[in-house]
Amino acid sequence: MALPNKVLAGFTASLYIQPTASPTALTLTQLSTLASVSAIAVSGNLLNVEAIPAFGQDDAVASFGVAGSRQSDKVPTQSAPTSLTITAPWNPSDANLLLIRGDAYSGIIDRTFVIAATDGTNIVYYAFNARVSEFKIDAQPSAEAKAVFTVHPRGNLYGWSNNA
Amino acid sequence: MTTQNNITQYAQAIQEQLAGIFSPVPVYALFNRNFATQPKFVTWQLRNVHQPVYTGNYQGNKGIDRPIFQVSIFTSNLQTGMADGFNLANTLIQSLHGYSGSFGTTHAFQVAKADVSMLYHGYDDAVDLFHVFLDVTLDISA
Repeated sequence: MALPNKVLAGFTASLYIQPTASPTALTLTQLSTLASVSAIAVSGNLLNVEAIPAFGQDDAVASFGVAGSRQSDKVPTQSAPTSLTITAPWNPSDANLLLIRGDAYSGIIDRTFVIAATDGTNIVYYAFNARVSEFKIDAQPSAEAKAVFTVHPRGNLYGWSNNA
Repeated sequence: MTTQNNITQYAQAIQEQLAGIFSPVPVYALFNRNFATQPKFVTWQLRNVHQPVYTGNYQGNKGIDRPIFQVSIFTSNLQTGMADGFNLANTLIQSLHGYSGSFGTTHAFQVAKADVSMLYHGYDDAVDLFHVFLDVTLDISA
């Protein structure tokens, strides 16, 4: 499947979460399957957030130095998907925000998250399974109240797909 | 989170709320030579109506609106004009600074907080009017 051949604008990324309090997270194969991922990326599953932070993979290398060898070596290892600290405008009765709050309260719920980046026509999906920690409300008076939470993807459980 | 609020409703509610606060001193939306007949009067101007826009292709993903309106108090009496102006400014501050609840009357909406800031006062020799200017910031939940 061909990817859209253009640079995407940064502000048109949306975050979707799998519904219900006890979701069945997608399998590794499904995370790269458009039909499985796009089924989650529907308006009812939208999580209204201010901005999507950098997503993808963390850096992880093993460094080697061998006595007598001129150069050392850096070997990439199985680097984990990047954790995302996300800020959302706090709507206390937003159903999807309450799911995030419940996940953080539990700490052991695996849920599939989908980031959809679009240029207005085509969509690139990044899907991953993750648990939520650190759910807190920032209600300082000089700005609107924020809900801040961190999403930690599980190791080796993410995939890319697109609808182009 | 929501659609953009209607600026017309802001304007109507501001006029209603200020008219209630300053009564019997008249409140006008624009300055139009009212000093010819009014020894004391108040005008206001609305600005900075803007809800922040957030990520994604959903138009409803926006934050709260924090519009600002300037209140201009004019008084004409040479002996008591400055005191009259400051007293009207105090009336506004006592009524609105830190206020939360219903704002306006027939076109009312809820404000989470109102913040009044007195900017400066002065005297215009050309029109023979004392004036006091204040900014009011409204936090309007989306």
